[in-house]
Amino acid sequence: MSGGGGSPDIYFAKGGPEDPRTPPGGGSRSPRILGGDRSARNVWIAVASTILFFGVLAVVVVRSPGWPEIKQQFFNGQEFAVSFPLILRKFTRNIFIFCVAEVLVLTLALVLAVLRSLPGPVFTPLRIFSATYTDLFRGVPTILVIVMLGFGAPALNLQGVPTSSFFWAIIALTLVYSAYVAEVYRAGIQSVHPSQVAAARSLGFSRWQSMRYVVLPQAIRRVIPPLLNDFIGLQKDSALVYVLGVVESLNQATIIQAGDFNFTPYVALSVIYIAITIPQARFVDRMVARDQRRRQAGATL
Amino acid sequence: MRRVVLGLATIAIVAVACAPKSSTPSSVASGADQCAVANLNLYASGKLTIATGNPAYTPWYGGKSVPGSDWKSSSYTGDPHTGQGYESAFAYALAQQMGFSKDQVEWIGIPFGKSFAPGPKNFDFAMQQISITPKRAQAVDFSDGYYDVNQALIADNGSPAIGVTTLAGLKDLKLGAPVGTTSLDVIQQEVQPSVEPGVYPDLHAALQDLKNGKLAGVVVDFPDAFYGYADQIVGQFPPIAGQQERFGLAFQKGNSLVSCVNQAIGALKTSGTLKQLQDQWLQTDANVPVFK
Repeated sequence: MSGGGGSPDIYFAKGGPEDPRTPPGGGSRSPRILGGDRSARNVWIAVASTILFFGVLAVVVVRSPGWPEIKQQFFNGQEFAVSFPLILRKFTRNIFIFCVAEVLVLTLALVLAVLRSLPGPVFTPLRIFSATYTDLFRGVPTILVIVMLGFGAPALNLQGVPTSSFFWAIIALTLVYSAYVAEVYRAGIQSVHPSQVAAARSLGFSRWQSMRYVVLPQAIRRVIPPLLNDFIGLQKDSALVYVLGVVESLNQATIIQAGDFNFTPYVALSVIYIAITIPQARFVDRMVARDQRRRQAGATL
Repeated sequence: MRRVVLGLATIAIVAVACAPKSSTPSSVASGADQCAVANLNLYASGKLTIATGNPAYTPWYGGKSVPGSDWKSSSYTGDPHTGQGYESAFAYALAQQMGFSKDQVEWIGIPFGKSFAPGPKNFDFAMQQISITPKRAQAVDFSDGYYDVNQALIADNGSPAIGVTTLAGLKDLKLGAPVGTTSLDVIQQEVQPSVEPGVYPDLHAALQDLKNGKLAGVVVDFPDAFYGYADQIVGQFPPIAGQQERFGLAFQKGNSLVSCVNQAIGALKTSGTLKQLQDQWLQTDANVPVFK
């Protein structure tokens, strides 16, 4: 979480203090990894202290009494070479799961957010429904939702209801992440000043039209960084479907780990996850920075 | 500049402070009776601490859970403290052979991975139907085998697996097994299925999908097949590559306790106690056909 500008949205999305006036993507100065002042002396100090710190840390770890055992059991080159391709092949299932789920999440969450943002007493039941849904699925651990749906739903023996674990895993992830993402959308919707809706209405837009053409385009653009953030969360949680017996990457890693009594397959899987999530995180940082520059340049939307 | 040096020094000190203490080498008892309880290299002195899974399944663990125990008994599970079920009974027989009394045996519940995770253990050994393999022996030290086990296929009435007598006949069926078991190895290496098997965190999850009709059958340790997990035992598998599978106790690598435990297991074998416990707790002599 290095992009300082992204943080308010992230906290907001997870149900933190809600302040609709905080412009998403705006705000505090983002700290640079190398420190703000780039004078030669500071650079020298930064380099020296970094080398010293990580050098000492590495020496301490490598020279620890348990290191040979850890190396054999977690960083075993042979085990890595055998398990990595197998795990990578199964990772395509995770990709399928989180891509399908993400499309469903973005749709369902938008519906939930719009429902919750509907004004007027007549829509109270819809607002209650949306709020309850969000509370419920944000409150229950993802793995529980997956287990209950994955083993429970097929046991109903209902005609026409799929029994595939794959199917229910995707549904469970969709249900949970829609709750998070609906809150992100809602934050975006609330960040659009009410005067804009008033202006749109006075121009003759209906409520729906002002939502569709005035509020949502601005709202969604503002929350793209936190949306990506939740997408990364979804990618990682796609590993949880292993509990249903789906042989995806984590299950494949566990098969090798428990068969060989070696934890290296987990390191291999972590490498895969890092390889896909870091570029995305950097991409979000870049987007936040660009957005910030545009704002500070005084450009209009 | 002084501040800088001070800062670097602080960082270095913090890093060194995080350094783990080197473990003190365990004292090896010399003298005549190095297998006397007092001389054993134990996790808790004077106690034999055994790790197993929770829940603990029948027929390996049985009986009604004793008050204060972490284990809950049901029709499929038992409590290690009862001395009922093969592994529990074997554990107490082993402890007695080594000179422990019944209340000197402690049980702790662990996830499977803990039995072979590197680093100091909070138990003396793990007893969890762990099959001995050369690969696994690189990570842990195994005791001698305390049970020779085969694998069997169970299925519910109406499953396409019912009536199958050959390995080839199972090829196109969706089978399931718990992760990290020989049951899974049997599916992959002997059946070599065209349908990907379901691989579950534990036996219970696999059985749930069997009940839900998602699996044609579940492969289990042979004695498990007799405990009503499914309607029928379809058949048993020949040992993989002709190698008899054995369960062993898993110790931390280099633990000197192994030799004393092996001595006790040897004595239980010679006296016929092991065989008697197997006959008492494990039903294996039924006429179950072997898949061709």
